[in-house]
Amino acid sequence: MAESDDEYVQDISDDEVEAHQVTRSAGTGSRATGQGSRGAGWEVTRTWENVVEGADGTISSTVEGLLEAGKRKRLLKDTTPLQRGIIRHLLLVLDLSTAMSEKDLRPSRYLLTLRYTTAFIAEFFEQNPISQLGIIGTRDGLALTISPLSGNPNDHISNMQKLFEQEPKGQPSLQNALDMARAALFHAPAHTTREVLVLFGSLLSSDPDDIHATISALVSSHITVTIIGLAAQVAICLTLATRTNPLLPPSQTYNVALNEAHYRDLLMRATTPPTTSHSTTEDSGVKSSLLMMGFPSRIVDPSPTLCACHSRPTRGGYLCSRCSSKVCSLPTQCPACGLTLILSTHLARSYHHLFPLRNWREVSWARASVSSQKVCFGCQAPFPERPASLRRQSISGGQNHDRMSLATSESQLHPPKAAHISNANKDGVSESGRYECENCRRFFCIDCDVFAHEVVHNCPGCQSREGVLSFQTRKGGE
Amino acid sequence: MNAPPLSLLTIILDTNPHAWALLTPTLPLSAAIANLLVFINAHLAFNNSNKVAIIASHTQRAEFLYPVPSQDDSLQANGSAHNGAQNDLDGDAKMVDSDEGSGTAAGDDANHYRPFRHIQTILLSAISKLYKTTSSESLTPTTSIAGALTLALTYINKQSIALSTTTSSKTNADTFVAPSDPNLIQPATLNPRILILSVSGDLAHQYIPIMNTIFACQRLTIPIDICKIAGDSVFLQQASDATHGTYIALTHPRGLLQYLMLGFLPDQSSRKYLVPPTAVGVDFRAACFCHRKVVDVGFVCSICLSSKSGLSTVLCWNYSVRRRKAPHV
Repeated sequence: MAESDDEYVQDISDDEVEAHQVTRSAGTGSRATGQGSRGAGWEVTRTWENVVEGADGTISSTVEGLLEAGKRKRLLKDTTPLQRGIIRHLLLVLDLSTAMSEKDLRPSRYLLTLRYTTAFIAEFFEQNPISQLGIIGTRDGLALTISPLSGNPNDHISNMQKLFEQEPKGQPSLQNALDMARAALFHAPAHTTREVLVLFGSLLSSDPDDIHATISALVSSHITVTIIGLAAQVAICLTLATRTNPLLPPSQTYNVALNEAHYRDLLMRATTPPTTSHSTTEDSGVKSSLLMMGFPSRIVDPSPTLCACHSRPTRGGYLCSRCSSKVCSLPTQCPACGLTLILSTHLARSYHHLFPLRNWREVSWARASVSSQKVCFGCQAPFPERPASLRRQSISGGQNHDRMSLATSESQLHPPKAAHISNANKDGVSESGRYECENCRRFFCIDCDVFAHEVVHNCPGCQSREGVLSFQTRKGGE
Repeated sequence: MNAPPLSLLTIILDTNPHAWALLTPTLPLSAAIANLLVFINAHLAFNNSNKVAIIASHTQRAEFLYPVPSQDDSLQANGSAHNGAQNDLDGDAKMVDSDEGSGTAAGDDANHYRPFRHIQTILLSAISKLYKTTSSESLTPTTSIAGALTLALTYINKQSIALSTTTSSKTNADTFVAPSDPNLIQPATLNPRILILSVSGDLAHQYIPIMNTIFACQRLTIPIDICKIAGDSVFLQQASDATHGTYIALTHPRGLLQYLMLGFLPDQSSRKYLVPPTAVGVDFRAACFCHRKVVDVGFVCSICLSSKSGLSTVLCWNYSVRRRKAPHV
């Protein structure tokens, strides 16, 4: 028994090799392309080959460059404002079969999935406060509802806690799970998205019927399926992902997690609302409409009264703006009149998806030297001076070269094209440590760059610029 | 770390000249700044390593009042000043500061504790410079609170990064590229909070940027305290409520110092043992995008999430979104 188990493991890892090579050759593996390990074996990332001695004989400059590149890697994403499906209906399908007890992801696929899913639920509602989430599990060839479609993260998390005490067993059934998901999403209104996210650890699916018929049914009911594999690429999953997302490349809809961190990244990527373009809106049935919502104010009663949602005596709460029944937490649906009750802050939470902050540009030394800005506008940290070693390097390269760079610095404001391109090549790291917002033309340091794009979603410069308020007034009046 | 966690107090001072002119009979700006300085001194006296930053939220721009980049000096002097700030983290800031103070501010009272005097001179000169550079056409009744909040957050972020990397700060270059992964920041060591002294209302045009900063604060567990001296703003109430800060609307602006000392001096860790003043009724109603009216029941567009007061209105916000998006689609 034990031997056969070992062989089984071996098979998986072989498949894994193939799967990763396939994704690499297609140029889709986000991890693989990022690390530039050309020609190396798939498990060996030769990070030391990236380290080159600087002009002064130390590797400190390269190390610093790598650190900055790592910080900025996640930043350089598409910042075009797109129409996104903010109100989502997502069903999470968890594989609970024996394949999940593998320990290739620590502590085990099963426990890691449960832990990440709990984090995912919190993050999902953080990013999509007015969306609905449901959780389905599949084991023993059956699909079972773990947590029904609802908008309350606490319900989901408490339902997830029960799974921690159970063991993965049997075979998964993709078809049963998808059918159940389709039934749950059947009543989702047309202005929302219908999504299924599958976390699939097995290499097989034990189905009662033809799964291709199920896939066709999913396509016709405009349900999109994205899959995160834990073991290796499986042909049916790829078919499923590509057929339900005809407009997206497979790299965005079906990925295999390489390690724990990659798994988390893939899962958290699903918290960002999917884009819906005009061309797809007609086909997929997603259309804009106006929803009636109530914005209740909080009240504090002098004595406890029963809430309408749980019939528990509470003092604080919110009164429905239409029928004045008291509910304890938001967002929710009024139990009496069915009005969606939310806080305006919940709506505002999604705004940064709709109006993303544009990427900032790297600044060349030539451009940095003509600017009078010596400190980061955001945090007041001083920028590095143009290092002497860099000057020496350019001198050793040829006296002419140095003179040329001086000449370009005098030409001001128009950085040479070549310098720009060479900057862009280096993983978006600015040689001068400065990053420039193209709107307000102010320089920022890497820390502020990362912080502004990932946490605040505001540009400190644009928000504190002369005339910005009158500009916004004009825009609002349009 | 055995030392008590240092707290970084970032004060955002609303310096809208209009609003302060209206307040002159009860609380002139000079008196408010004098009160604020006493409050800052008290904060610094609490713990040797406590830090403060002051940001002006002016009519159309936000600016650092303290610490200021010394632009007229050479970069070398600037760098040393900032190294002084870095040393601050080790707790020997007082010495560095006092050296600087004796160099720059001459003829001061010898009985005045030098770090206090240092802040006072910098703050007063920065404020007078701010008002000198204000042109009459830039005077609007609004204030750029979103910009000030964003600046405060970037500053807090940088300080917590600098604190979490206990590596030595030898040169400028080293302090700048101090290795720091955003995931490695330990906010436990730095105890940041933001205090807004607000005198003007009407912030509807900055709704989205303000909300972005509020969510950032919520995520980083930075409380936003509001000291509302005049005017009224729904957003600031929501800000303090969402970040578990204190909201006090002054009934007697003349007693500003007492409000500051009793309401805002305790930091996050000591507030757990106190009963903070809380605003009971928080107005959570949304403003509609077409009329800027505050509504109870509204209609929300499922795609752009803007709320509208009635179906018959022109969907101005929606149109502007579509128009801006057009070239990309």
